[in-house]
Amino acid sequence: MTRPLLSLQNVKKCFGTIAAVDGVTLDIHENEFFALLGASGSGKTTLLRMLAGFEDLTAGDILLEGTSIANIPPNRRPVNLMFQTYALFPHMTVAQNIAYGLEMDKLPKAQIKTHVDEILQVIQLAHLAKRKPDQLSGGQRQRVALARALVKRPKVLLLDEPLGALDKKLRGEMQLELKRLQHEFGITFIVVTHDQEEALVMADRVAIMQDGALLQVGTPHEIYEFPETRFAADFIGVMNFLPVKVSRGAAHTSNGTRIATDKPLDLPDGSAAVAAIRPERLHVGIQSDNMLTGEITAIAYHGLDLLLHIMTPLADTPIISRMTADVADHHNPAVGQQITVGWSARDTHIFPA
Amino acid sequence: MTNDRRPLILMSPALLWLFGLMVVPCLLILALAFFRRGLYGGIEYTWTLENIALVFDPLYFKIFMKSAGIAGLAAGIASVLGYAAAYAIASMPRRHQPMLLFFAVLPFWSNYLVRTYAWIVLLNREGLIVNLARWFGFEGEMPKLLYTESAVVIGLVYNYLPFVILSCYAPLSRLNPEIAEASRDLGASGWKTFRRITLPMTVPGIATGFVFVFVLSIGNFVTPALLGGGQFQMIGNLVYAQFLTANDWPFGAALSMVLILVMLGLLMLQAVVTERASGGKKQIDG
Repeated sequence: MTRPLLSLQNVKKCFGTIAAVDGVTLDIHENEFFALLGASGSGKTTLLRMLAGFEDLTAGDILLEGTSIANIPPNRRPVNLMFQTYALFPHMTVAQNIAYGLEMDKLPKAQIKTHVDEILQVIQLAHLAKRKPDQLSGGQRQRVALARALVKRPKVLLLDEPLGALDKKLRGEMQLELKRLQHEFGITFIVVTHDQEEALVMADRVAIMQDGALLQVGTPHEIYEFPETRFAADFIGVMNFLPVKVSRGAAHTSNGTRIATDKPLDLPDGSAAVAAIRPERLHVGIQSDNMLTGEITAIAYHGLDLLLHIMTPLADTPIISRMTADVADHHNPAVGQQITVGWSARDTHIFPA
Repeated sequence: MTNDRRPLILMSPALLWLFGLMVVPCLLILALAFFRRGLYGGIEYTWTLENIALVFDPLYFKIFMKSAGIAGLAAGIASVLGYAAAYAIASMPRRHQPMLLFFAVLPFWSNYLVRTYAWIVLLNREGLIVNLARWFGFEGEMPKLLYTESAVVIGLVYNYLPFVILSCYAPLSRLNPEIAEASRDLGASGWKTFRRITLPMTVPGIATGFVFVFVLSIGNFVTPALLGGGQFQMIGNLVYAQFLTANDWPFGAALSMVLILVMLGLLMLQAVVTERASGGKKQIDG
């Protein structure tokens, strides 16, 4: 790959003695849809505000196309931010809001009008051009905020929880819409979100942030299937954790059964660990590398699938197994039944406890 | 007792008070303005428009315009100073703001007359300001400070400044800081952001403060009497004189009435400005 578009080099931000962003090094490439995923307080919004220019760096550097932008004020960065609160100008119409950034670039009036009309078509709000923000619905306001940032054709578009204020159904639609716009405009998007599903659906690459540091960076598939830490495994999706003990170079459950895994196990003998397995990797009625029997204590029906809660003597909390609708039709699981599930060595992760 | 009657019962003492001591006297003034002055200061109950016409007589109308000029100047200066102070307070850390506001309105807790007399001490020919200027090496003829128009404007600005600070602080402190940031992000300099975003969004506060100072100043008679030293009259002094020395109640009433109408007009204008700036607030949810 060629030179990265955006390069963060050991970026650090301290508020007093607290490091909100603690040494982040990261390359983001041209035309990439990148997601910063983390719980609140993980430093993801601070990092985004540093990219926009609203927070100065305590240490490190930010390079855009190879040149440092660390000391360039926000109004002179070819980077735009879509705020979580949208921050639309309440005293201006939709069209005036969108035109504002272009006026600051001192574009000719006629050209501004063309650009504004164009983007109003793209976000399908041409009929509301003369409305004020408080006469719009939440979804419409979100699109205006997006258009206002996008119309400047920045090198990087930063989005702070762009879908956070929308209801669930609209969020689903907008996830795909954002992806489409990103593709259409060919602009690098960096999205901050606490919603892991959002990150997995939209992004080309995801970075998990915790305590101001990057825990893991990878494609959604890598992040989901190959978590590198227990935190990452727990944070993304649903994960079963089975307490195990390492002996003779392998993991064993409390009743001495060996857990098969294809991943290297570099933990010392005698150390406590957990075996992590995704619910959808637990299968019923198939002979597998690992097997486990327990009693169904609850069934959560989701339409597409069922989640079985299986209590085993091996763990204090039930193991969750996902069963698709057609498998469920065949097996007819019921609460109180004994059930045996199996999973392959390939799907077993071992983390230190 | 039903619930819907409760508000009425709770409001009625205040409403009665306002009606008896505000609405009724105003109506009396209104009526008085259309009667003739009695020969020896009484009131002759025959209808006339003479008093109203006299208000617009160049002699008196000039005083009216002069008062408006002084009030306008005071309101203008107070608006600029007050907005700047409110802006500074609103940009301080949140936890310090109540304290700073408290200091801004502190002078209100002392007597208006005392504070105005204090300005006499300051502006006097041998007063603090003159002495201070001398001490800094200023030699020669000192300009007259006390008993001038400027002294009156200074007094009015000083007295009403806290109103403007409060009325400007309210919208400034409510501004979502992300809106100014969005403007910066879209390429606007700090000054551009102020001119195109912050200022237009806080105009209602300035309008409220301006009208407040103007209305209180144009009718004021204490400050012009004390700091103007009777060198010139403002409309308030004229009204005062009609009622208490000239014994021409109908003309005093006519002056008051015109004054009240001007004030009402301004207050309505201010309401319109506020309404405009808030964009009519027609919320559509969805």
